[in-house]
Amino acid sequence: MASLSSDEWRAICDKFTNAQNLTEVESRNDPENDPFRSKYKARELLREIYCSLKSFEVSEGEEDGGGESGDPRPSEQPVDGQREDGFGQGFSGDSPAGLRAAKLGAVEYYLGVNHVDTEELSAGQEHLMNCMKLLGRCSVSSENVSLFIHVRNQLGILWAGRDETETAQGFLETAESIYQHYMKEDGSPPTDMTEYFTTEEKLLTHQERTKRFELAYTHTMYYLAQVYKNLGQTERAATYCHSTLQRQLQLNQFNPMEWALNAATLSQYYITKGRYMEGRHCLSAATVISGLAGEVPSEAAAQESETENERREQLRQKRAEIARCWIKYCLNLLQDAKKLLEDNIGELDTDRQDELKRARRGEEEEEEKGRKSALLFGSEDTFDSIASLEEKVRCLFPLDFTEARAVFLVGQNYVTQAKEYFQMDGYVTDHIEILQDHSALFRALAFFEEDLERRCKMHKRRVDMLEPICTDLNAQYYLMIRRQLMFELAETYSEMMDLKLTLANRQADTQSLDSHTIKKFNHLCSASAKYFQMFLDSLCSPEGKVPEHLEEEVLRPALVARFRVARLHSRLISSSPSVQLDNLNRSLENYKYVVQYCETHPEAATTVETELELSKEMVGLLPLKINRLKARMAANN
Amino acid sequence: MAGASVKVAVRVRPFNSRETGRNAKCVIQMQGNTTCISNPKQPKDGAKNFTFDYSYWSHTTVDDPSFASQRQVYKDIGEEMLLHAFEGYNVCIFAYGQTGAGKSYTMMGKQEPGQEGIIPQLCEDLFQRTGENTDPDLTYSVEVSYMEIYCERVRDLLNPKSQGTLRVREHPILGPYVEDLSKLAVTGFTDIRDLMDAGNKARTVAATNMNETSSRSHAVFTIVFTQKRRDQMTSLDTEKVSKISLVDLAGSERADSSGAKGTRLKEGANINKSLTTLGKVISALAEMQSSKKRKSDFIPYRDSVLTWLLKENLGGNSRTAMIAALSPADINYEETLSTLRYADRAKQIRCNAVINEDPNAKLIRELKAEVERLRNLLFSQGLQELLDNAGEPASAGDVPADPDPLIEDGEEGEEAVATEPISKEEAAERLLETEKIIAELNETWEEKLRKTESIRLERSTRSQ
Repeated sequence: MASLSSDEWRAICDKFTNAQNLTEVESRNDPENDPFRSKYKARELLREIYCSLKSFEVSEGEEDGGGESGDPRPSEQPVDGQREDGFGQGFSGDSPAGLRAAKLGAVEYYLGVNHVDTEELSAGQEHLMNCMKLLGRCSVSSENVSLFIHVRNQLGILWAGRDETETAQGFLETAESIYQHYMKEDGSPPTDMTEYFTTEEKLLTHQERTKRFELAYTHTMYYLAQVYKNLGQTERAATYCHSTLQRQLQLNQFNPMEWALNAATLSQYYITKGRYMEGRHCLSAATVISGLAGEVPSEAAAQESETENERREQLRQKRAEIARCWIKYCLNLLQDAKKLLEDNIGELDTDRQDELKRARRGEEEEEEKGRKSALLFGSEDTFDSIASLEEKVRCLFPLDFTEARAVFLVGQNYVTQAKEYFQMDGYVTDHIEILQDHSALFRALAFFEEDLERRCKMHKRRVDMLEPICTDLNAQYYLMIRRQLMFELAETYSEMMDLKLTLANRQADTQSLDSHTIKKFNHLCSASAKYFQMFLDSLCSPEGKVPEHLEEEVLRPALVARFRVARLHSRLISSSPSVQLDNLNRSLENYKYVVQYCETHPEAATTVETELELSKEMVGLLPLKINRLKARMAANN
Repeated sequence: MAGASVKVAVRVRPFNSRETGRNAKCVIQMQGNTTCISNPKQPKDGAKNFTFDYSYWSHTTVDDPSFASQRQVYKDIGEEMLLHAFEGYNVCIFAYGQTGAGKSYTMMGKQEPGQEGIIPQLCEDLFQRTGENTDPDLTYSVEVSYMEIYCERVRDLLNPKSQGTLRVREHPILGPYVEDLSKLAVTGFTDIRDLMDAGNKARTVAATNMNETSSRSHAVFTIVFTQKRRDQMTSLDTEKVSKISLVDLAGSERADSSGAKGTRLKEGANINKSLTTLGKVISALAEMQSSKKRKSDFIPYRDSVLTWLLKENLGGNSRTAMIAALSPADINYEETLSTLRYADRAKQIRCNAVINEDPNAKLIRELKAEVERLRNLLFSQGLQELLDNAGEPASAGDVPADPDPLIEDGEEGEEAVATEPISKEEAAERLLETEKIIAELNETWEEKLRKTESIRLERSTRSQ
């Protein structure tokens, strides 16, 4: 710093501090109609710093007497993505020339970020590339490694924003390998770029240096996660998200509620991939870490102060959301187990059950251990709590009723928790979604229940929770939800009808059938048909016209509903021939609709192949039945 | 909802003074409803075509025969939507595009004759039509609200006193609503225009180096239109309520950087910088996964307020139109291309509510058994020819040999005989069998139930 007086240097440092303050603090208070005021001011200061450094460089260069003539890579452009990690080449980072390049590079870096932030992307890119050029002359050292990583992070963001994902990937992957190489070869807490422009007494502690450096790398991980996501490499993206979360926890750089919610969200990724152990681990960690956010302020406290109210709201909402993620865990685990165990008509396949039970012993333990070591969340103080929470629910498929019930109960418990916050009044959609999950939990559990009476009762519970809502909701605002509910109710009633039939079939011989059973059967049958019909009516225009063309999302459900209404009408029991005739005609009418719709819309046929084939048959055959009935009626009159 | 219910239009504006000053080149061409954009850097092979419901050429002036005026845009899109509102649908018109591409001009326009945008024209038309009504039993009422969503916070543009942000809530009867948002009754076009002006002035507008004025918020102008009909006979009123939502989306990425999810109003490869958005990335991952596997998951990342408020507009009983505003200038090529791509995708916007259907394998099997039974019955009655004439039934080979044991348990032996393939000779023999046996062939367990019922009934009538 020979030619630069300490006063001049101090002035530069002050300007830098000022610019940082403008960028990071002041800019938040900029008025909405002049959102970049502070950033523009910071830009001016950075430019001044740049000029001072440049002029200083010229004079110093003269003193050094051609110190830069030995520039090892004067013309080479740094291009990332190729093998270029800056090790062992050029000026060493701590040489005067190396330091000078780093300082100038840092100013270019800050100018670049400033331009990008104020939506002047190409100018920003130029500054960042200038920084890259300056660094390209240096080898990586603890003095400049931080800048090496930061500038690549920024270029990664810039290029990703232009849809040039591969270019972004190149910069970020290089940043990743620079970090890893540095940590292996050196690993000492590196200088932070802000320290280039601080007076000696204000240098950072080692601890602070490490913290900032690690945070920069955490960002690299995070950006890579997004790059991989954009490239469609979800598996890899998930791993990087996982690492990001892990690093946040290890380095103690996180907000508990935010972290917990992210971990809970990640669980949903694993669950849908069928990786229940990872899913459970994420969820357990989410619950434990969310506990670190403290107690929910009481209602009284919330009424006293706006901040407490906000906090109460936030904590309750996010914890309820984590509960909802747990519900999905239990639900999917049950449903996947069901899929594994069911035969071709959806009943429990006991051979398969025995086979799976036999296979499970032994291998389960080992697999668990193996996978566990791969991705563990937690710090020393949270590790045990996470593990003990994991023990509360299994991550292996339940294979019989007892096991299924255990999973169900955990899920149901979270249903109660989630509903406490997501109440009907205020959170209609959320509340109903939770109820739908609750119903689905019952449905999955019913599969494992061997006692048909009890199975039927489980379905009755589903009806009881969904039916009142379906009737009360405003059809104009909740059309989609109501359609889902109608369909589910129709199917549930139908399921109950089948169960009643099977039960009657088992218990009674034909002679002693009582009118009560018939009544019950007819009631369930009509209820099912009623909800399918309600669903079909919901597709009509406000004037009640049946749509000529069914939208893609409802095409299959609508045709299936017709098909099922047809079937249900032919199953209604009546002693009156004229009622029978009406029912058969209704049935025929609906089968005909399916056939005719597919004739006029050939593209629809592929979505309902089996149903269409059977409808065609019935359209051909039902008239026979109808004619026989008519003949009988005529004969009796 | 996809297909018929979303209309997509694009519109290109004239050069602005800045572009003219810089000798900008026009990269957009239009022919019929097709829009073509050419890459200024690769003029040879860079041209891309997009087809929409409408492509509006508003780059030149009225003298150009292909010029699309404010009036025409309204006639095509606004009027159609208004008619849907009269039918009782909820309708929604979105304007989308880069800052300065002309969204606000298309939606609001200027207060000069012939320069009004869709919103004022639609309002004027609405009152014109209701004013023509002579039916004494039919009355109309119109209420409006105007809000902006800036950084996920909702502000009331019609109430200068309202401070801070409003809460969005859902009510089982009232639907999604903004708590305390003013809803003002209007009786004529002047009322509505005055309110609109006041609201427009209250909008958040910013000046940056890149754009002199840019709307950095989404603005939602809502008209609740109620048609009340009195039935003279019963003195009962029936109401038809439709919500008309007119949305001017923010042009800048910043305004919704806190998240537009769900319907993907803005999709792109953008990387989120701050770790506070990690959740958004993870959500996207989980979503990508679940849409592939159709599994049930819960993504705790909240929908953006806008998406949330409009969710019923993006699926269900509503009619939606999207207008993408395009800048003609070569310097905006990338952004304009991305707007076109977005508009292209908008055709497929759908809401994520799907009907999850139970597998119906059992039902299919039962029905197949019944079909088989009926076919055998026909056969044994010698009516095969009739059946052949009736259509082309699927071959009997597809039908599983054993009928559903749950249903058929306890049936007499005849049933089993019936499901075996029958030769013509046998069938002829069968014809000689008594009517009773044939009838029993056709009997399912349910029919037995029916018989029981009728016997019971007979018995009770006899005993009377």
